[in-house]
Amino acid sequence: MGHSIRSDQMGVKSVLGVVPQEIALYEDMSPRENLNFWGKMYGLRGAELKTRVDEVLDIIGLTDRAKEYVKKYSGGMKRRVNIGVALLHKPQVIYMDEPTVGIDPQSRRNILDSVVSLKNQGMTVLYTTHYMEEAQELSDHIAIMDAGKMIAFGTEEELVKIVGQMDRITLTINAESVRVLEAWKNAPGVKQVTAQDGTLTVLADDSNQVLPRLFETAAASGVRITSVAIQEPNLEAVFLHLTGKALRD
Amino acid sequence: MKILDIAIKDMTRSFRSTFALMFMFGVPLVMTGMFYLMFGNSSNNPQGFSVPVTKVVVANLDTGGAAFDAIKGQFPGGQQANSMGDVILATLQEKGFASLMEISLADSAESARADVDNQKAGVALIIPADFSQQFSDLNGQATIGLYKDPTLTIGPGIVQSILSQFMDNISGAKIAVDVYIKQTGSSDPAQIGQVVSQYTASIATGDPTSALLDIQPTTSTPQPVNMLMTVVAPIMGWLTIFYAFYTGASTAQSILREDEDGTLPRLFTTPTGHSTILGGKFLAVGLTVLVQMTVLLILGRLLFGFSWGAFVPLALVTVGTMLAAATFGIFINSLLKSTKQAGLIFGGLLTLLGIVGGLPVFAAGSSSVDTLAKVSLIEPVGWAVQGLLKVMKGGQVQDLLLTFGVLAAWSVVFFVVGVLRFQKRYA
Repeated sequence: MGHSIRSDQMGVKSVLGVVPQEIALYEDMSPRENLNFWGKMYGLRGAELKTRVDEVLDIIGLTDRAKEYVKKYSGGMKRRVNIGVALLHKPQVIYMDEPTVGIDPQSRRNILDSVVSLKNQGMTVLYTTHYMEEAQELSDHIAIMDAGKMIAFGTEEELVKIVGQMDRITLTINAESVRVLEAWKNAPGVKQVTAQDGTLTVLADDSNQVLPRLFETAAASGVRITSVAIQEPNLEAVFLHLTGKALRD
Repeated sequence: MKILDIAIKDMTRSFRSTFALMFMFGVPLVMTGMFYLMFGNSSNNPQGFSVPVTKVVVANLDTGGAAFDAIKGQFPGGQQANSMGDVILATLQEKGFASLMEISLADSAESARADVDNQKAGVALIIPADFSQQFSDLNGQATIGLYKDPTLTIGPGIVQSILSQFMDNISGAKIAVDVYIKQTGSSDPAQIGQVVSQYTASIATGDPTSALLDIQPTTSTPQPVNMLMTVVAPIMGWLTIFYAFYTGASTAQSILREDEDGTLPRLFTTPTGHSTILGGKFLAVGLTVLVQMTVLLILGRLLFGFSWGAFVPLALVTVGTMLAAATFGIFINSLLKSTKQAGLIFGGLLTLLGIVGGLPVFAAGSSSVDTLAKVSLIEPVGWAVQGLLKVMKGGQVQDLLLTFGVLAAWSVVFFVVGVLRFQKRYA
């Protein structure tokens, strides 16, 4: 984009929009006042500023309540203003740090639609999330990070290939997981078994062939399987495969 | 331009805070109002503060005697007096005391006490029958009984003070006679009378009637003591300065608060330099303090009628105080790690600074005021308070240059340390 991160930090910042994970707004000011202030910080003035503030209020759907103090808003509405601030100067790159954490489904849907819209407008969106379905829905390219390091990068299709076409079987049992863990790991067709919080996750080539064996082994150990869920290969399975642990905050 | 945008935003937020407004304007005004009401009577009196006239009832039971007759000519007005009690009575009825005491007579000690008990008089003076005799006897104890209304303080105190001075002079005369007799061995009443006369003449200050009592007649119209300007206005001046420092610290705290709220880190992601961001916040602190002080001084004038002095010297002190208060706020916040520490630090340190700085106000009129005023100059609040007091007493620009210079010097130190620490933190 023509700006050096070393010698032209202001230039980089001028084309970058940042949406922090925590709400970073002045709650004793209205959304319009917030947007006006942040717009000025991005160098907008006069008619251009007013136009952009009106446009952003429209984008985030808060034009009707633009004069209320932010502190009176719901969590979802605050999130929308939080995103709106980063859109004011029409950045070429926007960085969103888990923008859907802790909000209601309706607001979440609204934000995800906004991100898709921004992408369609040609904006580069760098989006961090713990929700794999969000990454799958929104992303052209996905990077998986663990313990501060990027351990995989590619399109969704490319990443899924890492774990092959394995099915992901999630089971709950009525006993301690250690009673079946070793037996299931040694069962034919099973590639990986992990246990977390009373739930066991099994990666297998073919769930239809493996499931009866899991039931048999459990019965032999005197353990009863209380629920079963089967998932086609997805990003979560990739994460599990790469890190050996399920997603956590 | 961005500096101004940040400053305006911060000031907008400050003035929207009920809590901040209460401490910036509410508390100083309410406290001043309380003092104003306490001294309301005197403040409403266009003549200013005046001591009420005390009703004094005198039971002069003194019967005089030969010894007194022998020396009475040596006392001012003594020729017409039949007793020392008459001399005292005549003295108390001098014109000079008319504005302090209203003298009436009683036939007996009981009657005089009854007048006080019935609140017809504030003080009863009972001159015993043997007063002249005791006075004339070198070994005698001449005493006057004083009976007062316990609910009164000022009037009886004045009467008691006058009598004490009178009695001290009598004692002096007796000592002079005693010394004379011991040195000459003579007890001739005529000679003793001369000694008393010489003694009274030696302590006289021009007016012979003041020989035994140093009455200072007023030579011009008495200047009333305006309690409003001498007591209440300095208190409000001190409150204005004290809360200016509080506001400086509290407003500068927005740097820490914004850091914790995430808005400061977000500001750093915008194409706005760190120095611009911090500069804007510093400007907000200064302007907020300036607005607060200006409003309080104007309201002090409008609501309470305080006269703060000439405009230019007042502006000089106000700007000096603003600089010191704002930079002190930046400095003290630069030492804090979080807003959680602020309550304790602000409460303790600012209160201490306020009390030390206010010593010249609290100690006004006391004998130790000069010493305490010097002590208060160890910190900027003291300089600011004394600067304002100077302006209120008519100080001009040249009288305030040192005060302004010292406040400016404090400001430079506070600012440099505060900015360096913040820049290091947010580098």
